[in-house]
Amino acid sequence: MTIITSGLFWFILGILFCIALVGFKIWMEDRGVKMVWWKWGLTVIWIAFAGFAIAFAGVSIGENEMTAAGMGGLIFGIAVIVSGFIFWRLLHLGKA
Amino acid sequence: MSNNKTPEQLNRRKFLKVAGAASAAAGGLGIGLWSVESGKDPMSHTGEESFQGATQYFNRTKFEVDLPPYEKIGPTRRVDARTEVIFSRIGRLRQEWDDENGIDGLSDDLKAYYEKHPHYLKSDLEYFREVLPKWREDRQKYQDKYVLTHAWNNAMGSVWPPGIPDSEPPEIADFPWTAPGQLARKYKMKSPEKTAELIKQMAYQFGSTLVGITKLNPDWVYKHTMRNRGIDVNKPLDVPEHWEYAIVVGTPMSWDPFYANPTYGSSRESYAKTRIAAYRLAAFIKELGYAARPHTPAGDYDLMVVPIAIDAGLAEQGRHGVLVTPEMGSNIRPAVVTTNIPVKTDKPISFGVEDFCRTCKICADQCPTGAISTEDKVEVRGYRRWQIDISKCHNFWYSNLGNVGCRLCLTSCPYSRKSNWLHRGAMKVSANDPTGLSHGILTDLQQRFYPAPDAEKYFIPSMGGSNASYRKPPHWLQVDEYIDFSGGAK
Repeated sequence: MTIITSGLFWFILGILFCIALVGFKIWMEDRGVKMVWWKWGLTVIWIAFAGFAIAFAGVSIGENEMTAAGMGGLIFGIAVIVSGFIFWRLLHLGKA
Repeated sequence: MSNNKTPEQLNRRKFLKVAGAASAAAGGLGIGLWSVESGKDPMSHTGEESFQGATQYFNRTKFEVDLPPYEKIGPTRRVDARTEVIFSRIGRLRQEWDDENGIDGLSDDLKAYYEKHPHYLKSDLEYFREVLPKWREDRQKYQDKYVLTHAWNNAMGSVWPPGIPDSEPPEIADFPWTAPGQLARKYKMKSPEKTAELIKQMAYQFGSTLVGITKLNPDWVYKHTMRNRGIDVNKPLDVPEHWEYAIVVGTPMSWDPFYANPTYGSSRESYAKTRIAAYRLAAFIKELGYAARPHTPAGDYDLMVVPIAIDAGLAEQGRHGVLVTPEMGSNIRPAVVTTNIPVKTDKPISFGVEDFCRTCKICADQCPTGAISTEDKVEVRGYRRWQIDISKCHNFWYSNLGNVGCRLCLTSCPYSRKSNWLHRGAMKVSANDPTGLSHGILTDLQQRFYPAPDAEKYFIPSMGGSNASYRKPPHWLQVDEYIDFSGGAK
């Protein structure tokens, strides 16, 4: 059993994500943004991508592959920020 | 009271209800799965994790093919190990060569071989004339730096099951004799399927990381063997009938030194583990009353292990000529046990290696002597396959100061990565990509994210290199951490 096939991992992650998503929904509503299905889709994709970028750098550091950690962290990090900016603008489409 | 709520608040309440219910269901299921899995987790067998078979994690079923992923394209011929296996050939050349008579002074078969392959004669002579003297000189100068890895290598190889006696032909050595003319009781097995299950679990228990089973293709048995082992090397070998099945076992080389090849890795440590596993497995099968014969590193083979491991579904052949497994890439040292116990065989697999290797070529770029071709496959004894220049390869074994060998092609192979989510994920993307598009991307990422020294830097200083290794050695092989050289020159 690896960590990602561990039920405990998904249990804890599920709780954290539920809390985070509920908080995000309320926050966006306070900003006058209604979250519809495709906006949730974008949000989940971005979270997964950001998670991948962090995990890529982390596993590379753990392997002592510092070039991979640095280059991967930089490239994926920039992509996360840029996509986050674009997605953020998209989420605000149709703002009340 | 509810009448006072706005529609938005109702939506929020509904959302929270659904999310809460889903979380509770997922959480309950998660705890249930986690508790069952943790109870039977192979990782809970502290110190014996791999003895439970957990490390052969790749689900091969989807990638099984009826025919091995190499092509039979003409009449086949078995290997004459006396000349075609470098360990036999080069030893004979050393004994028989004299400058006065040249090639005419060699035995007929060796002379014929070198006349057909003059580039091998050039490389093999270079080994004696240039490579070995320089290697000995640099070893004197720099050996202190490698004392820990040499000591570790020798210690790992110090437990070594003795080989099959020269005096015992296969009809004797392979069978379970209880007294002269008296064979041990042969137990009737319930079914070939159950026998395969039993043998695989036992192979794990005996220390093997991977195990696969195939019918033995006689084409892979040496026509003339490389060592006696009860078989006269000068007489053609008729494949014994009791070499019906081939069970392939294999273990990885220790990963951190493996990444510090060619100067810090060791073949011998894995050779010893694999050899022990194979000898144990042969002993187990004999205890059940059947014939069994181990063919193991280093050099105690009567057959070619690589194609047999491919037939057994453990791996495909890579551009570097050896195995690429899904679990360990090329970090595997295999052995074979031939037997006549009726057993269900595995199917070969095709998980994208052939296509990947066609474009990757990282091993060829990293090979210091250019022994790995960047060209396509060639016909070898009736089969289309990748072939390396083994003579050039062997010369580099003595052009670096590590434990004898090189292993750089194994180390630099993109499939030879530790088993974490990132590398497993990349391998699965590659294996499941019928277009091959991911192969180029993954190769490019490998080159950019995991840069390696230039190939010429791996040579010893007297050959223009700088004793480079692919990665730094682990701390436990670095002499500066543990040995005080202040009393003497380092």
